[in-house]
Amino acid sequence: MTRYIIRRLLQGIPLLFIISVVLFILMMNMGDPVANMGGRRVTRSSDYQRLTRQLGLDKPIYLQYVYWLVGNDWTKTDLDGDGIAETPGKRQGILRGDFGTSLVNRGVPVLEVISERLPNTLILMLAAEVIIILGALFAGVYSALHQYSAADNLITTISFIGYSMPIFFIALILMTVFAVLFKRWNLPYLPTVGMFDPEVGKTTGQVLLHMILPVVSMSIISFASYSRYIRSTMLEVLSQDYVRTARSKGLPRRIVVYVHALKNASLPIITVVGLDLPLLLGGALVTESIFAWPGMGRLFLYHVDRADTPVVMGILMLIAAAVIIFQIITDIVYAWLDPRIRYES
Amino acid sequence: MKKAFSTVLTLLVVASFLLTGCGGGKAASKVVKLTYPQEFDSLSPLYTSMWFSWTTWQMFEHFPWEFDENNKPFPVLVTEIPSVENGGVSADGKVITMHLRKGLKWSDNKPLNADDFIFTWQMAVSPKNAVSSSYPYDAIESITAPDPQTVVINFTDPFAPWQATLWHGLLPAHILQPVFDAEGTIDNAEWVQMPTVGFGPYVLAEWEKGNFARFVKNKNYWGTAPKIPEVFIQFVPDDASQVAALKAGDTDLGTFIAYSDVPSLKAAGLNMMVEPSGYSEWMFFLVNEEKGHPALLDVNVRKAIALAIDPSGINRDLHYGLTKTPASFWDALPYYNDPALTPYPYDPAEAKRLLDQAGWVDSNANGIRDKNGVELELDHATTIRKDRQDVQAVMQQQLAAVGIKLNIASVDDALYFGTYADGGPAAKGEYDIMEWSDGPLFPDPDLYYWLCSEIPSDDYPTGENWFYLCDEELDRLITLQSTQVDSVERQKTISQINQLFYDKVYIIGLWQDPDVYAVGPRLNNVKFSGVTMFFNIADWDLTK
Repeated sequence: MTRYIIRRLLQGIPLLFIISVVLFILMMNMGDPVANMGGRRVTRSSDYQRLTRQLGLDKPIYLQYVYWLVGNDWTKTDLDGDGIAETPGKRQGILRGDFGTSLVNRGVPVLEVISERLPNTLILMLAAEVIIILGALFAGVYSALHQYSAADNLITTISFIGYSMPIFFIALILMTVFAVLFKRWNLPYLPTVGMFDPEVGKTTGQVLLHMILPVVSMSIISFASYSRYIRSTMLEVLSQDYVRTARSKGLPRRIVVYVHALKNASLPIITVVGLDLPLLLGGALVTESIFAWPGMGRLFLYHVDRADTPVVMGILMLIAAAVIIFQIITDIVYAWLDPRIRYES
Repeated sequence: MKKAFSTVLTLLVVASFLLTGCGGGKAASKVVKLTYPQEFDSLSPLYTSMWFSWTTWQMFEHFPWEFDENNKPFPVLVTEIPSVENGGVSADGKVITMHLRKGLKWSDNKPLNADDFIFTWQMAVSPKNAVSSSYPYDAIESITAPDPQTVVINFTDPFAPWQATLWHGLLPAHILQPVFDAEGTIDNAEWVQMPTVGFGPYVLAEWEKGNFARFVKNKNYWGTAPKIPEVFIQFVPDDASQVAALKAGDTDLGTFIAYSDVPSLKAAGLNMMVEPSGYSEWMFFLVNEEKGHPALLDVNVRKAIALAIDPSGINRDLHYGLTKTPASFWDALPYYNDPALTPYPYDPAEAKRLLDQAGWVDSNANGIRDKNGVELELDHATTIRKDRQDVQAVMQQQLAAVGIKLNIASVDDALYFGTYADGGPAAKGEYDIMEWSDGPLFPDPDLYYWLCSEIPSDDYPTGENWFYLCDEELDRLITLQSTQVDSVERQKTISQINQLFYDKVYIIGLWQDPDVYAVGPRLNNVKFSGVTMFFNIADWDLTK
C-alpha cells in the first residue's frame, strides 16, 4: 500500500505541472488587472505602462510562468522604465513555496490571502457536508427499505424539488422568510449576512447562528442528489444473494441493513464523496456571496474578476492538489471497505 | 482506520471553529454598521483608486480640504484653502502654498506636518513604488517646507485642477521613511497593507479580508471626538442580500443601492439619500472618417439621434424618477454648468426631418434609411450591466421608429474596457456608439482625454481618446482650461466647451449616475458629499 501511495503521489507531479500550465495560460487571457486599477475611470495611460512594468505583466507569458514557477531572484527587472534592468527580483517561485503576492491587495502574500479564508470555508462546508451525508444516508436507506411507500414518494418529491431549485433562489427565500419576515412578525429570527453581530462580538455561538441559513441552503440542494444515489445503490444491494442469505440466517434486520447492505452500497457513494471533498476547499461561490460568508468561493470570484493571477492560481493549484490527494484517500478507503480490493501487484 | 477518519474529521471541525470563533472581534455596545457591496482592495493612500477606499479614508484620514453635502470645499488640515486672493496660489498658477493647522497629529501621537506631505509626494513619483496612480503628483516639480506648518508646491506648468486632485490621503513619514530607506520600496510595508495609524476621527482596528473592517475612536484625535465609538463595515457582495440586511435592521447604512431597490427600501422605512457623484451615463459617438459610420460625421444625423431617443422617459420608467438627464458633463457642478444647458427634447418628427435633410432616406423600402448605398445601421455596445441592457432595448425601438437600425451588443466589463494593445473593442474603435458612466474630475471640470494627441494607435496604444475624435477647437479649449487658475476665466472656457459638445452633439447624456445610500432609522445626522462622501462621520449618531 505504501508503494502504491508513493507511486500515485509521484504520478501527481506531472499532472499538477500540466494543470498549472493550462490554468496559467487561461488566467492570462481572463482580463487585464491593471485596466481596473483606475477605479471608476479607465487607468491613465502613463500609470498603465508603469504598473504593467512594475508588476511584471509586460513580460511574455512563458516568462511570467517561469517566474511564477521558479521565481525571478536569479535575474533583474527594470522598475524605473529606463530600459536597463537594475532591480534584483525577489520572488522564489511556487516550487520553493513562494506563491507570490496579490496584484489586487498589493504586497500581500498569496498564502496569507488564502489562509485567512480557508478556515471559514472549512467550517461552513464541512458542517454542510456532514448534514448532507447524514441526512441523505437516513433518507436514502429509509426510501430503499420502504420502496414506493408514501414516505418514499414524499422524500422523492422533496428531493427533486430541492434538486431543481437554484441555490440563489433557495438562499434568498430562506433569508427573506427567516431573517426579514420573522423579525417583522416578532418571531425568533436568524441573521442575514456575515459571521457575527459586531454588537455581540465574534463568539462561537454567533458564528454558529450565522451558519444556519447558508448551511441549510447548501444542504437542501445537495441532499437530493446524495439521497437518490444512496437509495438506488441500496436497492441494488438489497436484492443481492448475500443479503438474502444473511436474512435467511436469521440475522437481525439492523445488522443486515447496516452491516451487510450499507457497507457494500457505500463503495460508489465513497467515490462521489471523495470527488466532492476536495472541492469543499473551493467554497461555495453563490452561497458565500449571498450570505456574505468570507470563504474561498468569494475569494476566488473576487480575484478572478480582477484578473489577479497569483491568487487565482494559488487557489486552483490548492484544489488540484487536494483532488489528487483525496483520490488517493478514496482508493485507500475502498480497500478498507472491500477486502477484495488490493493495490499491490 | 474508521476511528482515525472520525478523529481527523472532528479535529478539522473543532480547529475551524477555534480559528474562526476565537479570533479578534471585541464586542462594543454602540456600533454603527455599514455594508459595502465591494471590498476595498487597499486602504493605503496612493495604492488604490477604488470608490470604497476613498469613502473609508474619511474615517481615519483627512484631506487638506474636504467637500460638504453641496460639494463645496471647506478647510480641514489647512487654515484656509489656497487661492489667488489669499496668496495661496501664485499669479502664474505654478505655486501653491498651504498653511497647516497647528496641533495636527497622527494617532500614535506623532506630529503631522509638512514632512508627511513631502514624503507622500516622493512616494507617489518614486519608480520603486507600484502606486495605482502618480497623478497629479507627477505634475509637481518640487515641494519645499519653509517651516513644519507650511507646504510650498511648485508645479512645472500651471495646474488648474489641483483642488480636486491633490492630497487624497497622506502617508506617515515617521513610519514609512525607514521602510523605504531599508527596502527601497514601501509596497510591502506593514502600514501600507494595514494602515492602523491615522489622523482621522477613527483608527483602523481590524480588517478581516472578505469579511469586515472595524474602526474605533482615535484617542489622539486633534478634532472634535466622534459620537459613535465604533464603525463596522460588512462586505456584502450580493445586492439582494444587502437589501435584506437593511430591511432586517442588520445594518444601518447601505451603499451603492440599485435604483430598482429604492421603492421597497423606502417602504421598509429606510431613508434613501441620493447624492450627485459627478458621473453620468453617456452615449459616445465615434466621429472619425476612417473608423466610424459615415453618417456620424454629419452633425445633423447625430442631432437626429439625440432627438429620437427619450432619456427622460427612460429615467422615469426604468429609474423610478431618481435620475435626471444631463445636458453637459458638468451637470452636477452648477458653477461650471452656467449658463445651464437643456437636454435635447424627445422629438421624433424633427429627427426624421433632419435625417431627410441630411439625405438619409429609405430608398429601398426596407425600413432602414440609406444614402449612397450605405444603410443607416449603427453598432452600439456597452457592458453587461442590467439597466444598460434595458436602455439599449428601449433606444433600439425608438431609433427604429425614425428609420435607424441599432445593432446592440453587451460585453463583459473586462473585455469591453480592454486596452488597445489587448484588442479591447472600445479602445480599438469597433463600435459606432459606446456607452458607459463617466465624468470630469469631480468637483473639477478637467477632461483631458478628448485631446487629439490621445487618439490611440499602434505607436501610442495607451491613448485614451477612444472616440477617435479630433476637433481642433475642442483641443484648444481643453488645453486652455487646464492651465487657467483664474476661476472666472476658467469658467468661461468650460462654458465654451460645454456649448461646443452640445452644438456638435459628440455625446448624448442618458442619466446622471448619483450615489444612492440607504440610511437605517436609528442612524442620525448623516450627510453625504459627492466627493468626500463621509465628511461628517464624526457627527453621526445612533438613537438609543
